[in-house]
Amino acid sequence: MFMKQTKVLLIFTIALSLLALASACGKKPEETPGANTGTSAKEYVPTGKEGTISGAVAFTGTPPPPKKIATDADPACGQKNPNLSTEDNVVTNGKLANVLVYIKEGTLADGTKISEVSFKTPTAALTLDQNGCHYKPHVAAVMVNQKLNITNSDPTQHNIHFTPKNNPDWNQSQPNGAAPLSHSFARSEILVPVKCNQHPWMKAYVAVLKHPFAAVSAEDGSFSIKGVPPGTYTVAAWHEGGATGTEKTMQVTVPASGSVTADFAFGEAATASGKPSLQMMPALDVPMLGRH
Amino acid sequence: MNRGVHRFALLLAGATFFLIIAGALVTSHDAGLATSDWPLSNGQFFPRMVGNLFWEHGHRMVATTVGFLTVCFTVYLYWEQICNWLYRRGLIRSAPVYRGEPRRWVRRLGAIALGTVIAQGLLGGLTVKLNLPLVVSAAHATLAQLFFCTTVSLAVFTSRSWLENQPTMEEQGTLAVRYVCVAAAATIFLQLIIGATLRHSATWDQPLPTDLLLTHIGGAIAVTVLLGTTAVLILRRQRGETFLTRPAKLALALLAVQLFLGIAAYITRVASPNDPQPLNPMVGITVAHVACGALVFATTIVLTLRGFKVLRANAASFEFATPERKLKLEV
Repeated sequence: MFMKQTKVLLIFTIALSLLALASACGKKPEETPGANTGTSAKEYVPTGKEGTISGAVAFTGTPPPPKKIATDADPACGQKNPNLSTEDNVVTNGKLANVLVYIKEGTLADGTKISEVSFKTPTAALTLDQNGCHYKPHVAAVMVNQKLNITNSDPTQHNIHFTPKNNPDWNQSQPNGAAPLSHSFARSEILVPVKCNQHPWMKAYVAVLKHPFAAVSAEDGSFSIKGVPPGTYTVAAWHEGGATGTEKTMQVTVPASGSVTADFAFGEAATASGKPSLQMMPALDVPMLGRH
Repeated sequence: MNRGVHRFALLLAGATFFLIIAGALVTSHDAGLATSDWPLSNGQFFPRMVGNLFWEHGHRMVATTVGFLTVCFTVYLYWEQICNWLYRRGLIRSAPVYRGEPRRWVRRLGAIALGTVIAQGLLGGLTVKLNLPLVVSAAHATLAQLFFCTTVSLAVFTSRSWLENQPTMEEQGTLAVRYVCVAAAATIFLQLIIGATLRHSATWDQPLPTDLLLTHIGGAIAVTVLLGTTAVLILRRQRGETFLTRPAKLALALLAVQLFLGIAAYITRVASPNDPQPLNPMVGITVAHVACGALVFATTIVLTLRGFKVLRANAASFEFATPERKLKLEV
């Protein structure tokens, strides 16, 4: 009797383990905002009445000073870029650079959800350059299937390593003087971390969206998203830091042929009530600083 | 006794220990994918070893050396058989003068070591080609420990102290030390698997997964209890028997160092996501923790092997430990 019970328990345990394994193997990639479902999405045709979302990203409080990077392991980096330092908080006069601002969700003026509309993928490739042993740009946005050219302008070898969650992992060596590499992402993802395993301080982030409505804040904190169809949207601003970065959102209404301002703030005071967003998905802090 | 075989086994075990350190340095620097190529690095046999490629390609060079040493060691063990085979086919003119390893089971263990090192090399290549999947990377780290223990076992089996006639002793008390040794070795091996999985679950700039970290801490407690019990039992029961007490003392000392290194590794590793790059204190301490873990495992294996060589079951304790037998005796 005991043996029979043991057998049943054993079979049950094995079955449960196999089920867990199967569910883990069959785990679907996470859906991110603006995911390209690619099924019955209707293509957006510009009407000439598109608007603009613009604004600035501020940093409140005292930003942590950039940390100096030791380049002894590869002297070529130090020779080309003697003042190499971390780029996670690039603040100039209280304005924060390298913040990704994008339309997270919303509806067009005719009531269609933006996630149900498809947009033309730009034919022009975005260039990600390894220059001075850091990436230029540090944060970038591309559309699903848009080409990304990777160049190496350094007198040393790099490897470019994308570590996405929804797309396949991709790693390629690129010695100095090698031809540019090309890559694209088949699924949307906010955001794909990029790293160089040869120079562990080298980091960049690439947002992969199904629409072209994204911008990265410049050194003066300003950004501008042009050609936005009139409608009401949730605009998100993402800034790196912590395990998954911090995201803030706000609602904006883009008028026909008009513009709307969306200002964001990060930093000590601004993030006092917020926490790093899990998987960069939910908005935990919604500062209503913008004018609607 | 063939001193040459023993010395070679010691050299191989030492080289393997160095290889474990080289591998741990790769993980701590997140250098595993510094080149997307394998077995070449950036399409070259000997690339410019700058940046993290120094660690990754350096690890490959040490691994190649250990692989070559293992091939030579296996040939050394089978030398007599190889020469006889060649002599029978007329490929050499005289029978072998030098004898390899006379014990077949030791030769077979050498062959197992060769198979393991080949499998380990292929796992290393596979993990690079597949961009370091957790399962393959953890398996690579675990097999490294198994290979190290095989080489240490070969050094034990070919040593003078093993070959000399050691006096056989009866187990004292009801708790058989040999089986506590086996339990300790098995627990340490499980702990090494958890540790390898923990290390490969997050790179230096990511926080460690809490569930795995807690499991590893739980494993450390289990290892401390089991290995501590083993060592104390041996030191109390087999007093004066240096064949057993020496590795027991060493295991206790290494365990203490390992626990200290574990705490230090945790402190430095928790801080590392805020660092601009992997810093030397974190790298040095985590690598030392891995290396000391390998030594704790190897010492426990030595203790277990030696325990099984000289300790014999105590009839009374056997009787006490098996209720069925006791019942029979009573009837």
